[in-house]
Amino acid sequence: MSDVILQVDGLIKNYKTFTAVNGISFKVPKGKVIGLLGPNGAGKTTTIQVLLGITLSNGGSISYFGKDFFKNREYCLQRINYTSSFNNLQGKITVLENLLVYSNLYSIKNSRKKIKELVEYFEISSLINQRYYDLSSGQRTRVNLIKALINDPMLILMDEPTASLDPDIADKLLSLIENLRKTKNTSILYTSHDMEEVTRICDEVIFLDKGKIIAQDSPLGLTKRISKAQVRLTFDGENKILEKYFKKEKLKFKFQTKNIVTIDTKEEKVPKLIFSLSKLGIWITDIEVKKPTLEDFFLQIARNIK
Amino acid sequence: MISWRRVKSILLEEYFISKRSLEIFFDIPFFAFTSLLLAGFIASFISSSIGIIGAQYLILGMILWECLRITQYSMSVSVLWEIWSRNLSNIFISPISIVEYFISLMISSILKITIMSTMLSLIAFFFFKFNILEVGLMNLILILFNLVFFGWSTGIIILGLIFRFSTRVQAIAWGIIFLFQPLTAALYPISILPSAIQKVAFLFPPTYVFEAAREALRTSNLNWEYISTAFILNIVYLIGALILFKYLFKSSKDMGQFARNEG
Repeated sequence: MSDVILQVDGLIKNYKTFTAVNGISFKVPKGKVIGLLGPNGAGKTTTIQVLLGITLSNGGSISYFGKDFFKNREYCLQRINYTSSFNNLQGKITVLENLLVYSNLYSIKNSRKKIKELVEYFEISSLINQRYYDLSSGQRTRVNLIKALINDPMLILMDEPTASLDPDIADKLLSLIENLRKTKNTSILYTSHDMEEVTRICDEVIFLDKGKIIAQDSPLGLTKRISKAQVRLTFDGENKILEKYFKKEKLKFKFQTKNIVTIDTKEEKVPKLIFSLSKLGIWITDIEVKKPTLEDFFLQIARNIK
Repeated sequence: MISWRRVKSILLEEYFISKRSLEIFFDIPFFAFTSLLLAGFIASFISSSIGIIGAQYLILGMILWECLRITQYSMSVSVLWEIWSRNLSNIFISPISIVEYFISLMISSILKITIMSTMLSLIAFFFFKFNILEVGLMNLILILFNLVFFGWSTGIIILGLIFRFSTRVQAIAWGIIFLFQPLTAALYPISILPSAIQKVAFLFPPTYVFEAAREALRTSNLNWEYISTAFILNIVYLIGALILFKYLFKSSKDMGQFARNEG
């Protein structure tokens, strides 16, 4: 079996005159977590919907495990799964009943044993006879994940799975994803607005905007593209001297208090800045350098676009 | 290839929902029983004042009508449970095919009408001394078969409309079938209808089926011309319904409505 689990080539989705997905191409290798990021309306959810076959594309190709998705729908869907904070399972029926329905949909052998294992792993054995509607959002997320794992998928598409979860449950979910990758080599295509979690779990990030890929790299690689850093200095001395120096050097700065200033500069210029200020007789008592994050990259892209 | 486990999964879900749903209880047995009781009491009145055959037509018509209504309801409303629960995507991103989904709904509708027609017939027998087997067992099976066929066709069209237009059109899942109750002369002979409406009525298979059922009750003979005409029309309707469904289903996925159905 191919090491590329999902391959997307030139995918296009138009809604009348609006192009939601504009010729994107990417791969999801085996055992990798790929983040799909972008501002609202970038085309992330549409891409996921097309990848699942619940929305039709207007062009391009999708293949799972080296097989064309549209010609091998059943084969592909048997080996992938999906979870989203925007979907639920059937609310009228119990957790166990829901899981029995899905184990039949995926033709799982020894389904009750499989359900028992997963239910124990997610520590929801006490909930299996409760109606899905009666569960809290954290409990529902765990049941949704069991559904997404019931067929031992080789790829899981996750659309903002931590949205509306409290930080503790969200952290458990992220740990689970890390564990799945480590123990089962499961690939994951992950969308989220939380840059910290994307940085934590994704091997590679694809930035989408207006249906196009505008950047694709590791989270670290993307943050390195931002040369700006913010330096926060606590000092002893005349702030007029500092102000004069910053203006001369055309640096963007802001005095937080009489003795604290933040300066926007390039990361590599920080040592020179400190040295120059020392030469001016400024006594620096504390230095804090805030490095760019994935969120900064996201904001830069989003603002440049606007 | 059809996977019977996937077919079973939808039937299982239907069973789990049905046993917990007050809505389904009111929509199927409660509505059917009250309709039959109403028809039965009106029939008792007719029987004592006008004649027994008119009364029997009314009870027979109501039992058969309920079978048609329940078949269509069963085909159309199941998908609404998925939409209301925001579970539709989860079902259709599994390997189940639309053919398997249809087969599940068809089996479910057969099971429902088998149970309901038996219960309604027993009520009619014990409360109103009406024996539906006077129509003839084989005749009755052919009559029900044709009604179920038409229920599937209308159900499939409504299913397509729900996929395409979502819950905006959900009311038709319950309502539209009642258009056929007066139009196909379910509860009275077709001759009651004005001649212009009779011409329209004969475009629909149930009109022939209800007429044939009344004749079978009266004479114990089946009007083969009517039953075969109904069968041919049913095939035409089913093919038409499947073509329309295919168009609506594709259009729903093309417009992104299918994925948006869950809000």
